[in-house]
Amino acid sequence: MGKTISIIKMRKQENLIGYLFASPWLFGLIVLGFFPILMSFYFSFTNYNMVSAPKIIWFENYRILLTNDNLFWKSLGNTLYHVVIAVPLGIFVGLFLAFLLNSKIKGISIYRTLFYLPNVVSVVAMTLLWMWLFQPNFGLINQLLKPLYELFKMEPLGWYLDQDLSKLTLILMGLWTAGGSMVIYLAQMQDIPITLYESADIDGASWFKKMIHITLPLMTPSIFFNFIMGLIGSFQVFTIAYIMTGGGPSRSTYYYAYYLFDKMMNDNAMGMASAMAWILLVIVLIVTVFALRLNKYVFYLGEDS
Amino acid sequence: MKKFLSILLLGLLSLALYGCNDDTPTDRIEITFWHMSPVGSASFSDTRRIITEFNQSQDVYFVKGTGFSFWDYWDKIAVAISSRTAPDIGLSTIDDVPIRAEAGVLYNLSELIEADPDGIEIDQLYDSQLSFATYDGHLYALPFTATTRVLYYNLDMFTAAGLSADDVPTTWSELHTVAKQLDIVQGSSIQQLGFDPTYGNATYHGYLWQAGLDFFDEDLNPTLNTQGHIDVLQWMIDFNSEFTRSQLTAFGDANTMLGINPFAGERVAMMIEVDSLYQTIKEAGADFNFGVTSIPVPDDGGIRVNWGSGFSVEMYDNNKNTPDKKAGAWEFLKYLMSKDTQKDLSETNGWIMAHQGAMLEVAEGDAIMTRILEEVAYARDKVYVPYAPSWHGNDWQSYYNDALTGKKTAAQALADARANYLQKKANWEATR
Amino acid sequence: MSELMLPKQKYRSRKKRARIVRLILHIVLLLCSLVFVFPFLWMLVTALKTPAELLRGIDVFFPAKPQWSNFIDAVQKIPFFMYLKNSLIIVVLVVFGTVMSATTAAYAFAKLRWKGRDKWFIVMLATMMLPIQVILIPTYVMYSWIGWLGTRLPMIVPAFFGGGAAFYIFLMRQFFKGIPKELTESAIIDGANHFQIFLKIMLPLSKPAIVTVALFTFMGTWNDYFGPLIFLSNPDHWTLALGLRAFQTQYGGQYNLMMAASILIMLPTLIIFFFAQKTFIEGIKFTGIKG
Repeated sequence: MGKTISIIKMRKQENLIGYLFASPWLFGLIVLGFFPILMSFYFSFTNYNMVSAPKIIWFENYRILLTNDNLFWKSLGNTLYHVVIAVPLGIFVGLFLAFLLNSKIKGISIYRTLFYLPNVVSVVAMTLLWMWLFQPNFGLINQLLKPLYELFKMEPLGWYLDQDLSKLTLILMGLWTAGGSMVIYLAQMQDIPITLYESADIDGASWFKKMIHITLPLMTPSIFFNFIMGLIGSFQVFTIAYIMTGGGPSRSTYYYAYYLFDKMMNDNAMGMASAMAWILLVIVLIVTVFALRLNKYVFYLGEDS
Repeated sequence: MKKFLSILLLGLLSLALYGCNDDTPTDRIEITFWHMSPVGSASFSDTRRIITEFNQSQDVYFVKGTGFSFWDYWDKIAVAISSRTAPDIGLSTIDDVPIRAEAGVLYNLSELIEADPDGIEIDQLYDSQLSFATYDGHLYALPFTATTRVLYYNLDMFTAAGLSADDVPTTWSELHTVAKQLDIVQGSSIQQLGFDPTYGNATYHGYLWQAGLDFFDEDLNPTLNTQGHIDVLQWMIDFNSEFTRSQLTAFGDANTMLGINPFAGERVAMMIEVDSLYQTIKEAGADFNFGVTSIPVPDDGGIRVNWGSGFSVEMYDNNKNTPDKKAGAWEFLKYLMSKDTQKDLSETNGWIMAHQGAMLEVAEGDAIMTRILEEVAYARDKVYVPYAPSWHGNDWQSYYNDALTGKKTAAQALADARANYLQKKANWEATR
Repeated sequence: MSELMLPKQKYRSRKKRARIVRLILHIVLLLCSLVFVFPFLWMLVTALKTPAELLRGIDVFFPAKPQWSNFIDAVQKIPFFMYLKNSLIIVVLVVFGTVMSATTAAYAFAKLRWKGRDKWFIVMLATMMLPIQVILIPTYVMYSWIGWLGTRLPMIVPAFFGGGAAFYIFLMRQFFKGIPKELTESAIIDGANHFQIFLKIMLPLSKPAIVTVALFTFMGTWNDYFGPLIFLSNPDHWTLALGLRAFQTQYGGQYNLMMAASILIMLPTLIIFFFAQKTFIEGIKFTGIKG
């Protein structure tokens, strides 16, 4: 009986302990984060140009962006396209790599390190690789596909230089860094209790069955994680377009974060850029809150389901 | 293990908190100076020597220089200016001096010059550059370097094609005739290209100026919709019409994405580039004969002009009321702008400095440098457009590409670009 | 070990099949590795070129005479060991701080019930949705007010308070939630408090996740040049990633030296990755789990 009472008592204390555990982060957010975040919100209502004192113009930035700015909608559309395709594809490839590299074959450490390489090599080197692969005239991919093109009597694909394919090409290029999410999946795979596999073995379950009934369900926490983070990250896609296509051709890879960057660095329009940042925050927040509902399909070993 | 870890952390923590060993002598006034020669860059040691020589020349001030990579400098100085923690003296771009002058972050140099008339040899500086550094009738910056664009030509390729230095073109039609004789094609792939108007550092507005046109009128309204504008763009598009645009891009792409120059890589015979390419070729020890000349002009009424710009040197007013630092920065500014220092900087970095007298001495005996210097006098800087500071770059790029790749006709691309500038202008005015 | 129960014949063919599967896996992995290794290979050949060969671009892929001295040049041209020391100071402290602040906050989000928890969780996610550039200037101004400019503090202190750790908090939360609650509950019955549970059960059982957090933090901090560029005013505090950028100039630059130095600062990250991922092999064996 005494033990039950102590559990009830602990539940009461939990509120305090919860805040205590979260306190370093909460303290950082409120003391170090609050002022800059508030200032950027304030800037979004001004014509701040990073040099002169900002002048308050209320909702003018928001009005202009939403009603009289073609590039705003264009870049938002491009970004949505990117999010819808890149997020699921990224999860799939990351999972695939993790399954591939979770074996216990010889040299697996070397393979994993090699697969992770693109996450650490210099951006210039990656750019060059992509160009050598995808360049329509001399790129390796088009060279390999040449027989196919001739067979179907079609024009070689223009990849990142073709405005209908450029977004997809950049998504493909982005998959080179799937090694990052692979690491998270691999880490999660180690958390799956080995006893579950052992009892499945006793039942004579096949590799495929074990994967569907044990591995995948128990991977859902990290799949869910990569999904939410993929959403947040993909809405801010920028670097790859900046280095590969410069937003082109015909602004087909001009993403929202790219436009925001240009507003700030090229137009010196920090006020407008801040307004864009807050609009983006609202959009991503709404999408994320909906996505968080998928949490109920996530299987946590530590919780009742 | 745990003990080791905690000792390591404590050690690092104390290292992190350990203050910097400030090398400024305590009896001197420290002046901070930001430049673009970071530790490790080719020009670092000479920049440091030049600063040290100043520090040894007097005993009141002590200049502390910090160098940043060209690519990082702009972020760093922008954050510093906006937070009022800018260095006492630093470099920036000359075409947007007025925006900083208007905001009150720069010291008025005209006042300092008035009080110290012999400090700066103003008459040695280019008038066009000085006018960019002037706001409301006062100088707020001084031109530090100058840049210019010239036509580079590969003499070896000329010789191989049976041409000589006498055949170097001066007009657009000559340029076309000569360029065609220098093309080398094998099957469907280009081996060597005579010239392409889109290669190198050539710009549409540069060609417009040569034809007596411009992007904007005096009130900064975009023009772009005349037949003249269309013709110039069409000329650029059609110059190599026997090749497809993707062939031309592929030929240029392979090198430009690496930051390597098609002319220096001996792929094109003639190319418009900035003056620094000369330095690059020289330093790399390339072994081909080449020369430079004025950019060819349109046949009828062509104007000899090229796009040139430069860095400015400015004194930042951080609103901290520090007259002694201001006086020190002024002393150092005079030193930087003196003939000897300017000559020194040019000789060690290969830059074209703003001081004309110094440059004449540097170029003595160097035919190419002398020729480049001649063109500086014909350099014109781009106008600062507050509603589209990047009008020549990002704002224009996508329309330009659409026209080049044939997605839009020249007329359509120009009309669309103009509509975009007009929208930007209206939106900018709405936020004033 | 269920195989032992099978008839010998079947066992053998199974073994054979396994060998074929393994062979195919090796071939697939090798092919994939090629495309992953290529950029690194390019970095290496570029690092070994002469300036004249660099000018020729991709016409010359392999240098005629590998210039190994470029590596020595790159180290000597910049105060390599001072930058290395600075990088280490910042990276080690940031990794330590991030792991601490991320795991504690994650424990609160995953295992404790407190008022406003779910709302704070959304706030935490939202901090990742605001593009960092728009808070850069106010952050800088704030540091200048509290007198942190000219010190390393702006790079280090935030990590101890969850600065930039939202990603890791979320990640750790996902892992903590996966730890069977029977373990925590039986610990509570044994009279353990939450701090003991956190230290004695949660942390040891989440080794792969903590290694992942530490690894990612290490990579991110080690390669970050922008933070140090903006927030480190004193060049004596510069890090390798920032110092390396000196080789990049307005037009082109010393690509060979840049790549040589890039390889040098990349190697430690690769070595660390190699050893870190080994923790993903053994797996964590839960004891006392029912079923």
